[in-house]
Amino acid sequence: MPATQSLKKRKIVSASCDSGTSCPAGVASCPASSCPFRSPRSPRLKLLESALLLGPRPTAGGMEFSELIRTGRAQAELLRGPGAPPLRGTLCVTGHHLLLSPGPQATSDLWLLLLRSVDSIEKRVAGDSGTITLRCKDLRVLQLDIEGVEATLDIARSIEALSSLESVITSFPFFYRPKGLRLGDAWHFHPPEHYYKRVARETNAWRLSEVNEDFSVCPSYPRAVIVPRAVDDDALARSARFRQGGRFPVLSYHHAPSGTVLLRSSQPLTGPQKRRCAEDEELLRAVLAGARPGARGFIVDTRSAQAAKQARMTGGGTEAKAAYPGWKRLHRPMERGRPLQESFVRLVEACGDLEQSMDRWLSRLEGCRWLAHVKEALSTACLAAQGMEREGACILVHGAEGTDSTLLVTSLAQLILDPLSRTMTGFQELVEREWIQAGHPFQLRCAHSAFSHARPKHEAPTFLLFLDCVWQLGRQFPLSLEFGEGLLLALFEHAYASPFGTFLCNSEKERCLCEVRTRTHSLWSGLNQPKEQRKLRNPLYVLNPLAIWPSVEPQSLRLWQGLFLRWTRPPEPSEAAWEKVWQIVTDKEKTEGSQPTVSASEPQP
Amino acid sequence: MASAPTSKYNSHSLENESIKRTSRDGVNWDLSEAVPRLPGETHVADKEVIYICPFNGPIKGRVYITNYRLYLRSLETLSSHWHFEADACVFQDSALILDVPLGVISRIEKMGGATSRGENSYGLDITCKDMRNLRFALKQEGHSRRDMFEILTRHAFPLAHSLPIFAFLNEEKFNVDGWMVYNPVEEYRRQGLPNHHWRITFINKCYELCDTYPSLLVVPYRASDEDLRRVATFRSRNRIPVLSWIHPENKTVIVRCSQPLVGMSGKRNKDDEKYLDVIRETNRQISKLTIYDARPNVNAVANKATGGGYESDDAYHNAELFFLDIHNIHVMRESLKKVKDIVYPNVEESHWLSSLESTHWLEHIKLVLTGAIQVADKVSSGKSSVLVHCSDGWDRTAQLTSLAMLMLDSFYRSIEGFEILVQKEWISFGHKFASRIGHGDKNHADADRSPIFLQFIDCVWQMSKQFPTAFEFNEQFLITILDHLYSCRFGTFLYNCESARERQKVTERTVSLWSLINSNKDRFKNPFYTKEINRVLYPVASMRHLELWVNYYIRWNPRIKQQQPNPVEQRYLELLALRDEYIKRLEELQLANSAKLSDPSTSPSSPSQMMPHVQTHF
Repeated sequence: MPATQSLKKRKIVSASCDSGTSCPAGVASCPASSCPFRSPRSPRLKLLESALLLGPRPTAGGMEFSELIRTGRAQAELLRGPGAPPLRGTLCVTGHHLLLSPGPQATSDLWLLLLRSVDSIEKRVAGDSGTITLRCKDLRVLQLDIEGVEATLDIARSIEALSSLESVITSFPFFYRPKGLRLGDAWHFHPPEHYYKRVARETNAWRLSEVNEDFSVCPSYPRAVIVPRAVDDDALARSARFRQGGRFPVLSYHHAPSGTVLLRSSQPLTGPQKRRCAEDEELLRAVLAGARPGARGFIVDTRSAQAAKQARMTGGGTEAKAAYPGWKRLHRPMERGRPLQESFVRLVEACGDLEQSMDRWLSRLEGCRWLAHVKEALSTACLAAQGMEREGACILVHGAEGTDSTLLVTSLAQLILDPLSRTMTGFQELVEREWIQAGHPFQLRCAHSAFSHARPKHEAPTFLLFLDCVWQLGRQFPLSLEFGEGLLLALFEHAYASPFGTFLCNSEKERCLCEVRTRTHSLWSGLNQPKEQRKLRNPLYVLNPLAIWPSVEPQSLRLWQGLFLRWTRPPEPSEAAWEKVWQIVTDKEKTEGSQPTVSASEPQP
Repeated sequence: MASAPTSKYNSHSLENESIKRTSRDGVNWDLSEAVPRLPGETHVADKEVIYICPFNGPIKGRVYITNYRLYLRSLETLSSHWHFEADACVFQDSALILDVPLGVISRIEKMGGATSRGENSYGLDITCKDMRNLRFALKQEGHSRRDMFEILTRHAFPLAHSLPIFAFLNEEKFNVDGWMVYNPVEEYRRQGLPNHHWRITFINKCYELCDTYPSLLVVPYRASDEDLRRVATFRSRNRIPVLSWIHPENKTVIVRCSQPLVGMSGKRNKDDEKYLDVIRETNRQISKLTIYDARPNVNAVANKATGGGYESDDAYHNAELFFLDIHNIHVMRESLKKVKDIVYPNVEESHWLSSLESTHWLEHIKLVLTGAIQVADKVSSGKSSVLVHCSDGWDRTAQLTSLAMLMLDSFYRSIEGFEILVQKEWISFGHKFASRIGHGDKNHADADRSPIFLQFIDCVWQMSKQFPTAFEFNEQFLITILDHLYSCRFGTFLYNCESARERQKVTERTVSLWSLINSNKDRFKNPFYTKEINRVLYPVASMRHLELWVNYYIRWNPRIKQQQPNPVEQRYLELLALRDEYIKRLEELQLANSAKLSDPSTSPSSPSQMMPHVQTHF
């Protein structure tokens, strides 16, 4: 059945419902599962309809979503935690959403949850009703009390099946068509090219290489990368063969005031035989020569010396001192992978554990080690930034694969040094360039958040750790970031589950294959809509041209309450303060704005 | 670079560079010496010493001792002594300055002997009440430290030397009189008192009913002065139940007192029982009176051995008793001592959170806040009158009633309202400031000392963190209060009770701290403040939401100090000032316009003269 046809049919079906109801629940091409929406057609509902009804017909790996939906609807009560009143109404499962439509007398709007954001689901039945507890990737915990045992089990099964679909192209971003946004908007961020223009204005030692045009040299790099002008594409390709995953050293940031650069790569494949690669050595030599004669360099290895040595046994390794004259290696071990994920899980558990005896909270918080990871990340970034700014040295950062802790260090170092990266656009560009395009495997890392019972495979909250570090910077320098906590929270949510395509897939290559750019909307165009600005911007921002050196002492680092305790604390007071600041700032602008009017009305002699 | 320790990245940015030392409030600077001097402050001695700065190492300086302060100015600029490469310090190119009121000194010790070896091992070690220690090295020859030791001891501990406390010598003049801030009659009138259930009594006019209570008390209308006298015999130190606060709508009350003198034999007192029932009956909405005993249950029981105790169910049928588990002054003192151990001079870094936990300080804060929340909630939502006491009713009781009042009554969240709250619940009701702080007293180990008031201010700070728009005052206000809690520059916190203050004529002979604050209120204003009437604040007293007040407890550490003052507030104040400026300019221009319109002879060039003037501001 072609999509248009099913759409028409659905309209007919909805007409056959009680008069005056519309029925977007049939999205999942399951007419029988239609649910009545008795509430007046709110703007939000219209938006929802337009978003859900258009676009191609969803299928899941050859199987229609309808086959995964055991039941269309049930009567349920939703408990959203402290502060939010419970919601009663009709619960529906659609291909991508869980909907709760309040009864006719209710004034509140339709409640909607992206199924993709469900991290774990727990069901319990007792008597003739059941309870489903949904733990979401944004750390929210929701409870649904559902009438009917069968309905409960069916809904639970449907959610379970639909929330764990792995296919990218059937995911919601491919169907999401919000009003006011055009497909293809904001995908024109081409950070390497865009950023290269800036570098080219500052120095001519670097060029934009398209050696990776077809992703054959490095599958996790974007098409274009910035490399030393003195090194040709052949040499790059050979250097790539000497680096894990083909991630040869590329420019991450040019620090114009000191003329030094920040590079990133993966580990060299020296192996037990301590192999060398002339082109790789030449590349790093060219970096120093391009900076200034006699420049020094530091290689910040995010593993311990021991771990780097051990990596040789599996074909990896680290740069031999003799092979790279002028470069000195520093080891700053950072946590990654499973231990990091476990730390995250423990922290979320501790934050959600309302039973635990509170006199042990601080040691439990310490035991989670999350703040220790924040400290490690910030101090390694400080080290890299300090090397550039104070020592005038070039810095190459890598760990093993160069897609996790490496990016954490390079992106934080830029925030510390570069005032432009602290602006709203600059920060979005930084995330796009240093995380998304740089090949942080979001799909693998963010497949599950902290609640999943499944044994973590590739999950790791590296990006969340980055956001937390940025939050700490913002707390210590409340005026220096143009964006506020709202943006960081939004990025966290969208990295784990989003109607936008920005964080889909693991690399540019995959995104090209899935046609993400042409078939989904960009998160940036969503966030940059005027209505979002008040939530995301920092009203107190003033441009700070200096480096912002954070204090990394433990008493200077705080638990990010706005994220980890977001759903357990009453949010009003801080939001009220935020609103107050906005008022004062806009008042001030109004007064400022009226100034010229007065001078314009000066009587002319 | 590789050797750079990871934890010493100091923040430096515009945000911090805009932070400049503002000259201390109301202080004249003696230009010849560049030493600040208050009116009435006299120079006693000065001497060259080496200040052993725990953060920057030894630094040569000159110390000036007056009858009010110890002032040190380094002879070298700090930058040459700053060994960190990543310094970027706010002190750069300026001399290091220590400005310590002698009142904060708790203890002075000699360190090293005439024969001790090693550099800077001979000198004085000064322990302060405000979370820091000072160490000065002196030359070994000729007992050079003896003079300094004696002078400091004389003036830091004037009580032991029959000298007056500096507050009595202070001749500062302010354009407002802080002593006028609190007038009990006016404050009770604000609360709607007296009414037909509650009356004002002058039975304690000459402090003969209770020498630690104020002269003016509010008691149930139905209780005669004779009843009060009989109740007094059954309450520790005669501190009978009296009204602290009345709910404007439901007319439930917070009543404070001391423990009943039950003793081992379980004595009863009909008058006390009747009196509590009278209090209960002033509020017709609920059948029980709620009694909060601030102590842990076991302590209350143990107090029977010394004649005290608590209200038993048998004797008080119409009352419900709850224990709030707040520990006594000794526990609090030891807890704060542990906090100092982990923050001064060096912050315990490797296990910061568990060290902090082992001090139990935040846990005590939590218990105090939780207790106050219960009191406030009982009165506001439970519509039940509440009686609060501990043992003597001047420490934990004051904490609970004042915090509950702060939660319930938005008036106390304004600057003057808070001053009234402190003046009323703490100063007039006989919190023993002199004993707890030890003003001018050399017995540093006195078991009566305890940071009860500091703990209260910490709770207020925690609340202001959670409700950033609810308080008219800022953090600086709280820190200033704490600074002058020790400084002895003002009479506000001197002596243990109102009767002693009256005997010493404190209000006539000293200046009030509120004079200083109210004559320069802008410095202490919270720009976020949004006035709200009738909103009850319930802070979250979970450990997850409490934090150590770093800007107070670790403020001497230069790495922390850089975050002071709060740049957000700074910026906010700037914005507010800018807005006011604009409005003023606007008015001026409009005035100029209308003047010009009405007076055609005005030179046409005036707008252009005016405009550049306007623009220079922005």
